[in-house]
Amino acid sequence: MDTSSLLVHTLNGLSFGALLFLVASGFTLIFGLLRIVNLAHGAFYLVGAYIGLLVVAATGNVLLGILVAALAVSALGLGLERTLLKRARGKELPEVLLTIGIAFVIADLCLAAFGGDPKSVTMPSVLSGAVQFGSVTYPRYRLFVVLVAVLVAIGIYLVQHHTKIGAIVRAGVDDREIAAAMGINVDRVFTGMFAFGAALAGLAGVVGAGLLTVLPGADVEILLFALVVVIIGGLGSVKGAAVGSVLIGLVDAYSKAWIPELSYFTIFAPMALVLVFRPAGLFGRTA
Amino acid sequence: MMRRLTVSRLAVVAGLALAIAVPYLGVRRYYISLLALVFIAALLAVSVNMLAGQMGLVSVGHAGIAASASYAVGWSVNQGHGYPTQLLLALAVTLVVSAVYALTSMRTSGIFFLMVTLALGMVVFGLAYRLSRVTGGENGLRGVWRPPGVSETWQFYYLCLAVLVLVMLALWVIQRSPFGLVLRGIRDSESRMSSLGYSVAAYKFFAIMISGLVAGAAGVLSVWHAEFVSPSSAGFLRSALTVIMVILGGVGTWLGPLVGAGVVVWTENALSTHLERWPTVLGLIFIIVVLFAPQGLVGTAAARLRHRRSRTRS
Repeated sequence: MDTSSLLVHTLNGLSFGALLFLVASGFTLIFGLLRIVNLAHGAFYLVGAYIGLLVVAATGNVLLGILVAALAVSALGLGLERTLLKRARGKELPEVLLTIGIAFVIADLCLAAFGGDPKSVTMPSVLSGAVQFGSVTYPRYRLFVVLVAVLVAIGIYLVQHHTKIGAIVRAGVDDREIAAAMGINVDRVFTGMFAFGAALAGLAGVVGAGLLTVLPGADVEILLFALVVVIIGGLGSVKGAAVGSVLIGLVDAYSKAWIPELSYFTIFAPMALVLVFRPAGLFGRTA
Repeated sequence: MMRRLTVSRLAVVAGLALAIAVPYLGVRRYYISLLALVFIAALLAVSVNMLAGQMGLVSVGHAGIAASASYAVGWSVNQGHGYPTQLLLALAVTLVVSAVYALTSMRTSGIFFLMVTLALGMVVFGLAYRLSRVTGGENGLRGVWRPPGVSETWQFYYLCLAVLVLVMLALWVIQRSPFGLVLRGIRDSESRMSSLGYSVAAYKFFAIMISGLVAGAAGVLSVWHAEFVSPSSAGFLRSALTVIMVILGGVGTWLGPLVGAGVVVWTENALSTHLERWPTVLGLIFIIVVLFAPQGLVGTAAARLRHRRSRTRS
């Protein structure tokens, strides 16, 4: 194994990990505050991807695609939270089951609307070229994905630790009853967080549409990766999502390159190890 | 109390008699085959329901265990092995896969259990898809004929019925045993049971193994029914549909999985010819049941019946 192909696989792993972080961070944020395991998160991703596909095809503007998809999926999440999930608030199992039902319906409607053929986004020329690192040429778009993930991570960190909204959210995570007693409208914070997590999924969808193909079943696949990432990192921890994403991204890239037949199995191994030795995940809190 | 017992027993006996009589009533072969499919789906739902009802552990990955057993049968058929070897291999694979499920999930509960089983099911799906030397990849494995003696549709129908009834009886015995009592204790309070000296993880391990065996049986029957197995049999959709059957019928009820399987299989197979968007319809029905009838169809019906009876008595 020479260094240049090692570098390529590492960059592939980092860029896929960056996409995973975009998906897993929304997933884990929603869980951290609302205690909902949102199994419709993959479906949100898929909706975002299809919307991004349409917008980019019409305007050629990726940022506009990301913005529109994030807003649209956020609105979808908001509507679902207000109408359905609100009714099951606090009941762990019915909430998860509702999200399964929602995932089912959304995936089927996407199939009806966009068909079963794999689709991919043609990126504008700014992002479609390649960059030269010494002897390695690397697609520019993959570096753009890493950039987006880093910006989102910094944004989440700054908001969580340096703004009033962040303080309210952290208070809600620590103890929602006391937070409510302090006069915080916890219900509204919950809804806002669900909409924000959905927006992240929508954003990830557009970003992922440029990296992977979009097709029915992509929702379930990305959900699997997000699940493994948050199981490893610890449910509710953004830091855990970041570490888990990079880890799984790299493991997946190396195994796809060297042992492609077992590529799913290799992401399972770190998950099993974490579950045996640290059931709450690397950065998870024991309940 | 006495009367309720006799009424429900009568209903069960009548249902069973009807099920036995079906092949003689001149029902079309397609419907007998469909009923066999309902029984197989119900068997998988029973294995999920056992964990969900007795221990509060909802698995969204049991299709992975069933599919592993299906693949074991399919693979050994393609290797030219006879039926005894096929079954032994299916049993061994089921035990190994169930043990992996059990070992990775026995320390979790609630939604964590759900997530771990979901991930495991998808790993099985991924292996089935990618490990094409063994599994045939996307094309799956074909030509898995039924053993002689159950090759006719009506014979196979009776086999499925018999397996379902036997499994339900066995699980009924287990539920009433001290072991079953401990399981329910764990469902109600894990910390209390562990402070009483029970090894919660060990009990979970064995409960998952038992449930896995039932799922494996469903896998063997399903590969014989379709005479074919493909990655989608391990997929999220299959596992989610099984959970939908359990919730729709009523978690922890005896007839719930069967009723749920009936509704889902009928929607999937019969309704789908008229209605292209059947998953949407099924998803909406599921959402409505979770929101408005959380006890499921059988659970809600039983509660209604009890309510009416207590009113007429007073």
